[in-house]
Amino acid sequence: MATISTHLRNFKEPTRDQLTQLFFSLPVDPQIEGPPGASANEKSGSSSSVQGAAGGGDMERMEISATLSLGVSGVEEPYPGKLYLIPPYLAFTSLDRKSVRFTIPLCTVRRVERLNARAGIYALSLLLWHNMKIVVQLTSLRPNADLFCALLRDSLKVELQRGQMKLVKPFSKTSFSEILLATASEDEKEAAAAREEDLRATETMYTGGLGLKFKFPGDARKLREASKTKLWTTYLKTHGRHLTLLRYPQCTRLVQVGLPNRLRGEMWETLSGSIYLRFSCPGDYERILEANTGRTSTSTEEIEKDLHRSLPEYSAYQSEEGINALRRVLQAYSFKNPETGYCQAMNIIAAAILIYMSEEQAFWLLEVICDRLLPGYYRFINSMPMVFAFRIIDCFFCMGPKVLFQVALAILKINGEQLLQIQDDGGFIHLMREYFASLGDSAHPNSSDPRARAITRFQELLLVSFREFAVITDETILSERRKFRSEVVHSIESFSKRSAIRNLKTLERFTKDQAGLVYDALFKAICIEPPPDVAQPPPSLLTTKDTAEERPETRIGLKTFRVFLSEIATWARSEKIVMNGFQDIVSGLNGVMFNDLMENIEWFFNLHDNNKDGYLTRGEILTLSESLLFIFKHEIGDAYLGAVSRFMSNAFEYGDALLPDNEQPQPQPQEENDESGEPTTPSIETNQPYMNLATFRMVVLADEILESFFETDFSSTFKLEPVPMMELPNSNSGLLGGLWSTITSDDSKKMFHKISDEVGKSFGKHSAVYRPAIGKFTHLEEPKARESLLTPTMRRTASRTSLNASNSSPDNSAYLTPATSFATDPSTHSSPSQIATDSLSAASLASSEFSPMPSMFEAAAHAAVMMERTPFAIDDAKDDDEDSDLDDSEDGDEDVMDEVDAFLEAHDTGLTEAERELAKDLINASPVK
Amino acid sequence: MTDAASGSQDRSVQVKLVLLGEAAVGKSSVVLRFVSNEFQANKEPTIGAAFLTQKCRLEDRVLRYEIWDTAGQERFHSLAPMYYRNAQAAVVVYDVTKASSLEKAKTWVKELQRQANPNIVIALAGNKIDLVQPSSSTPTSDSEPEEEADDATATPGEPSGENGENLRQVPRDEAEAYAQEAGLLFFETSAKTGEGVVEIFTEIAKKIPIEQILASSRGGASRPGAPGARNAGQEGGVNLEQNAAKDKDGCNC
Repeated sequence: MATISTHLRNFKEPTRDQLTQLFFSLPVDPQIEGPPGASANEKSGSSSSVQGAAGGGDMERMEISATLSLGVSGVEEPYPGKLYLIPPYLAFTSLDRKSVRFTIPLCTVRRVERLNARAGIYALSLLLWHNMKIVVQLTSLRPNADLFCALLRDSLKVELQRGQMKLVKPFSKTSFSEILLATASEDEKEAAAAREEDLRATETMYTGGLGLKFKFPGDARKLREASKTKLWTTYLKTHGRHLTLLRYPQCTRLVQVGLPNRLRGEMWETLSGSIYLRFSCPGDYERILEANTGRTSTSTEEIEKDLHRSLPEYSAYQSEEGINALRRVLQAYSFKNPETGYCQAMNIIAAAILIYMSEEQAFWLLEVICDRLLPGYYRFINSMPMVFAFRIIDCFFCMGPKVLFQVALAILKINGEQLLQIQDDGGFIHLMREYFASLGDSAHPNSSDPRARAITRFQELLLVSFREFAVITDETILSERRKFRSEVVHSIESFSKRSAIRNLKTLERFTKDQAGLVYDALFKAICIEPPPDVAQPPPSLLTTKDTAEERPETRIGLKTFRVFLSEIATWARSEKIVMNGFQDIVSGLNGVMFNDLMENIEWFFNLHDNNKDGYLTRGEILTLSESLLFIFKHEIGDAYLGAVSRFMSNAFEYGDALLPDNEQPQPQPQEENDESGEPTTPSIETNQPYMNLATFRMVVLADEILESFFETDFSSTFKLEPVPMMELPNSNSGLLGGLWSTITSDDSKKMFHKISDEVGKSFGKHSAVYRPAIGKFTHLEEPKARESLLTPTMRRTASRTSLNASNSSPDNSAYLTPATSFATDPSTHSSPSQIATDSLSAASLASSEFSPMPSMFEAAAHAAVMMERTPFAIDDAKDDDEDSDLDDSEDGDEDVMDEVDAFLEAHDTGLTEAERELAKDLINASPVK
Repeated sequence: MTDAASGSQDRSVQVKLVLLGEAAVGKSSVVLRFVSNEFQANKEPTIGAAFLTQKCRLEDRVLRYEIWDTAGQERFHSLAPMYYRNAQAAVVVYDVTKASSLEKAKTWVKELQRQANPNIVIALAGNKIDLVQPSSSTPTSDSEPEEEADDATATPGEPSGENGENLRQVPRDEAEAYAQEAGLLFFETSAKTGEGVVEIFTEIAKKIPIEQILASSRGGASRPGAPGARNAGQEGGVNLEQNAAKDKDGCNC
């Protein structure tokens, strides 16, 4: 895969909207926009949402300050924060951005009422699915609040029209929490209604992970599954579940203590946000598999190799059932994301999550992990005993990628003393391995306090991670990334360059340095004009074993090549040219730059001999002349123009003279027909063989300028100069990028495009410097004696032509006139491109082997110094039946609560006592009539 | 060696060795066999690279192999130079039941010869010979070839209906001829049975220019810029080739 990759350089900082979406775990790709049409028009009037940023969707977005209260008194404190309307979602976060948050699809909102409260207080009561009530007090100015309500109403209407509301019920049946609560709510007041509904749910839809059948890793008793389940049941009862889950501090703490196995899958997809993808794309998973049944690709081959090597010690993956599930999930992902396809390590993560969730859930979660949650850091699954790894994954989904950094730092800190004494890599890996193996041991084995002795090293690790490294926030990570991005980009690029050059089949006659310059010029061209997306390789490629030659490689488009050529040869600035890879270019340039006189003439001849029969037709001669004019168009003075004119008349006269006798009568010398140099319509067929190489050579050599051109000048027009450090737009941080992100509406974007085009014209290299590439002959000189190889008549004609030409004005546009008027046939327009095509594609295809990986995996691989997992069998799971440890659940609860308390932090909501009172009142307030 | 001033008797010679080869040919398994004398039937794929060490004794010297076991998936190819840079030895592994893996091995060899340390000792290892040996190929019962293949090191998903020599896609002669031509050590191995594995590392150890390594590491690490670095080479001027020839089990691992 000799792909010259520029995507790192093209990295764009996420916009504010995207960051918000990311924060709320919303699908980044707006696959689930509101329907176009009516709703959009309806909305266009109110485009002035106060704090809202106009985003990708059709529906208006808006954020507003609000205070959130739970509809049940005494369960949670009211929290001030921000309420976001991001159709089709409603989201909230507390001011500290971590204590409280929710992301709720609008279709789960069943009723919204304005509450009747004190004057000046604007509050909404939202009744959600699960009969859960929340109260939001909009603490913004009245007009803002009114606007928000209007937008909310519209968005809800749209959701209703789309029929999304109907989807909630069947969807919720696929969630384990419904079963959990249905069985737990026996003695509740609303049990009657709820149970009827929920029990029906249990019959059908819910499909759990492989763990249900093949047991979950770990000892249920040791993991205190029953106690955890009980705590979660209580929490979910009052705080919503799956689509409607409200995340209060308690939620995060319960996650930190570890999710119960059966609930784990659902909570993962809820916390990570993959649930929204699954909800908005029902049936996609099945459809993808169906549409690609029987298809094979490099990815599917690679998947097959690894299927039996994914958590092989887990019994499900020793059975067909587990293997098949894993195969389907990985294949579905590779079909959906052909660019990423399959990368080793996905098998391990997929195998791990399939233990806890259904195939469809796993498919979407994999998508979220790979695309959104900064993939590549998931190696720890392999290094730690699985039970602990899953605990960290719990936190990862709940609190985001920063968890990985916090845990990693904590590991380093805890082992700091020993790490400092280590001499080499081997020692480091040994220490890590030992440490991971001992995670289940007591952190303070010698302590006199039994409670302290009970704290495991793993608990200690989490405590250190979340307490001492709480300073690591997503913002920290972002800013560090920003700081080092260019450095990383630079080193990766220079590495790519070195390997690209190393892997060239042949350097031809270039030196390494020169090849490097070619690479730089090409790279710059690709940056300026990204090549078109690589088309899907033909199916035949997919099924064959990839030999070096068949691997896809960098293909550049016409536009890119144009930029490239203009980098190295000034005459090429602003015209068009072709498709080619790095090797092609090196080989092609080789010909151009190192040929001698005769080779160059022959090369030029062959380029224009379209059918390779050894003869140029009249049309081809015209094309050739046009090519010469094109190359000469920026030369100062008219010497070159004259030379080409002479060339043409000589060529035609000579060619005509050589025509067989049975041909049409001699055509009139062209210059007699038309002063402007336009040739007569040839009286012979344009496609008839007309001139051979020997004649061509003779005609060229008849002219000093042309001779000199082919001997040295042409080759020397290709200048390999160091490409200056590229000032390319590599991120939004640049001036234009910064401007860009602030320009949001479509109209202004268009305007901006126009402006930037103009700006580009004014300072772009391609328009500013039309410097002559050769510049040797600046004055028109009278033809020299060598023309005597032609007859006196011919000679007279030739000089008259040149005189004609010399009369024309010397500016560029005039120079181009003959070229355009020669274009008797539209195909001749593309002559410059043909030059390049022929010359370069004549070279063999590159088969260079360097293959920069998609950055995500690169990161993974860089980070990964694999540590062999300490041999780890699935813990004894016989005792998995949760009822069996009910007897010690009392103690267990206490233990778990101890652990929960360990994570307890003061969550200062920042509300005054009075505000708190008000919020409480609102819970019981009646709606406005 | 007692009189070696810098204490060469305690200091083992560090040899950086890299494993390369197509995915699922058994690179990690070969290392695991060498380092821990173990075999795992379905070893998880290596991501990025793995690092292991193993000490072994050759004559009076202790070699400490620092083994970089690389990932085989094509996608990780571009990382390989990081691992083979400065490596003194490389083991390029292919799978005798998969012809394409030898082709891949050849491209690795070519890359190493072009870009790695010029003195690098390269060994070519055809792994999984347990699959093609007559002992495991008892074609008496047609009913359970599947199981046998699963049991062995067959790459899952490969057509494994047949046993024994039928599975072999790379003739020993062919690979050996290639190895000779390219100047490589050659072995056929089975990480599963252990056959041939230790031999690879022993033969590499014999071929490694240990004195050079010692000299350079002494000159570089313990006594930076010391002009007497050459001493090491003279003092330890043993002809390894000779010694190795008479002492078959120099490597104690």
